[in-house]
Amino acid sequence: MDLITWAIILLIILIVVIILLTFWGIYNRIIRTENQIDNAWAQIDVQMKRRADLIPNLMETVKGYMMHERGTMESVTNARAAIMSAKTPQESNDANNMLTGALKTLFAVAENYPDLKANQNFLQLQDELTHTEDKIAYSRQHYNDSVLFYNNTIETFPGNFFAHRMGRKAREMLQIPEASKEVPKVSF
Amino acid sequence: MEQQPRLIEDYIRKNKRDTVIICMLMVILLFSVIFAIGYILGAPPILTMMIGLPIALFYIFITYSFSIQSVISAAGARPANPQNREEKLLTYKVEEMSLAAGLPTPKVYVQESRDINAFATGHKPTDAIICATTGALQQLNTEELEGVIGHEMSHIQNHDILVMTVTVGVVGAIALIAEIAVRMLFWGGGRSGDRKGGGNIIVVVIAIIFIILAPIFSRLTYLAISRKREYLADAGGAYLTRNPEGLAKALEKIKTDIPDDPKGSKTVAPLYISNPFKRALRDSIWSTHPPLDERIRRLRAM
Repeated sequence: MDLITWAIILLIILIVVIILLTFWGIYNRIIRTENQIDNAWAQIDVQMKRRADLIPNLMETVKGYMMHERGTMESVTNARAAIMSAKTPQESNDANNMLTGALKTLFAVAENYPDLKANQNFLQLQDELTHTEDKIAYSRQHYNDSVLFYNNTIETFPGNFFAHRMGRKAREMLQIPEASKEVPKVSF
Repeated sequence: MEQQPRLIEDYIRKNKRDTVIICMLMVILLFSVIFAIGYILGAPPILTMMIGLPIALFYIFITYSFSIQSVISAAGARPANPQNREEKLLTYKVEEMSLAAGLPTPKVYVQESRDINAFATGHKPTDAIICATTGALQQLNTEELEGVIGHEMSHIQNHDILVMTVTVGVVGAIALIAEIAVRMLFWGGGRSGDRKGGGNIIVVVIAIIFIILAPIFSRLTYLAISRKREYLADAGGAYLTRNPEGLAKALEKIKTDIPDDPKGSKTVAPLYISNPFKRALRDSIWSTHPPLDERIRRLRAM
């Protein structure tokens, strides 16, 4: 065989190797990101449950002080019940937003009760509820970040080439309610 | 046309590439120093490597293995106390930021100091530590503290903690070997006369100058890495909190805060959010951090 034949064979092998390596990289990245998305989703769920579990304690603490705020207390209890009975992600999402709103009102009203505000138990619950609320927000943010990364991987070249054959489709992002937090533009 | 803002993931990947290049440069520098010494002493290159490399690797290994304990004890840090409300809220913020970054929650430490500062250390995200000063806990509000923790979490996410730990080791190893070489040259008076053939006097002189300058080169490289990473951690932190203003406000408070009894080792200064020993207001190749004003400006421009 002459030199040109060898060169062509070598070139073909090289191309095949490059394609295989790219596929390897893309495949792993797709699977890893999918796991990351699932994990982020599980986190959101865990945080929502944790928050719902804190509500009975809060109600127990608040009960003695906020006798005249029946409406506020009821809306919190109802929102919690809605979370517990939610079947679909969308339902639990909505119920959770309801609870966020109800708690906000409750903590605002609590400002009028100095005795309550001095209660260590209440303060601790308030800290913890704010914390879980933030955790929910950040878990959702991470979920959306992961989905964005995933979608970018499978919709841009060369990922789209393989993703299509692997039967992968773009995922949907969570619609976050008062999503006032905008992604900062990263530039150097 | 305005340039499309890139994703943080792209920056992390580019960062990893840069890191590999810089680490290779450091290794090449280390090797060159060892070779230069061998050349001056007239020893065969293989023998030089057999003696020099184990010393360097052993030194790097030791720094790496003890890095976490030494950073913690140099700072006089202790684990956060959940009974204290401020420290509990710090733990909460660290948990929140680790969720935002999708990383395991680092251990939370507190350093007794009136300064506003914080640092992250560790080898990998699973053994990372975030430490804040009591001054930071007292003087920063939730939003600002979140900005600072976001910055530290971003150092962990970008593998800066590992890079800084290893570069500290390499810089130290180069300094150690150069020190040994210089001492040997002085005590042995240089043995260039005994050598047969090979290397002329000019090359030997260049090699000596190189050995003397190598620790400075490695230190400058290290500082350059550190400064570049601060900007990246600022941007990454802002991406995690979605609130560049929080960190910008915190940096403003740090700017007006006068350093008070700095604790900790100078070699780990780049791990802090701002240099605990000196306020870097002016840009210099000797700074561990970029100037605060420039960092604030970039955050506000996001």
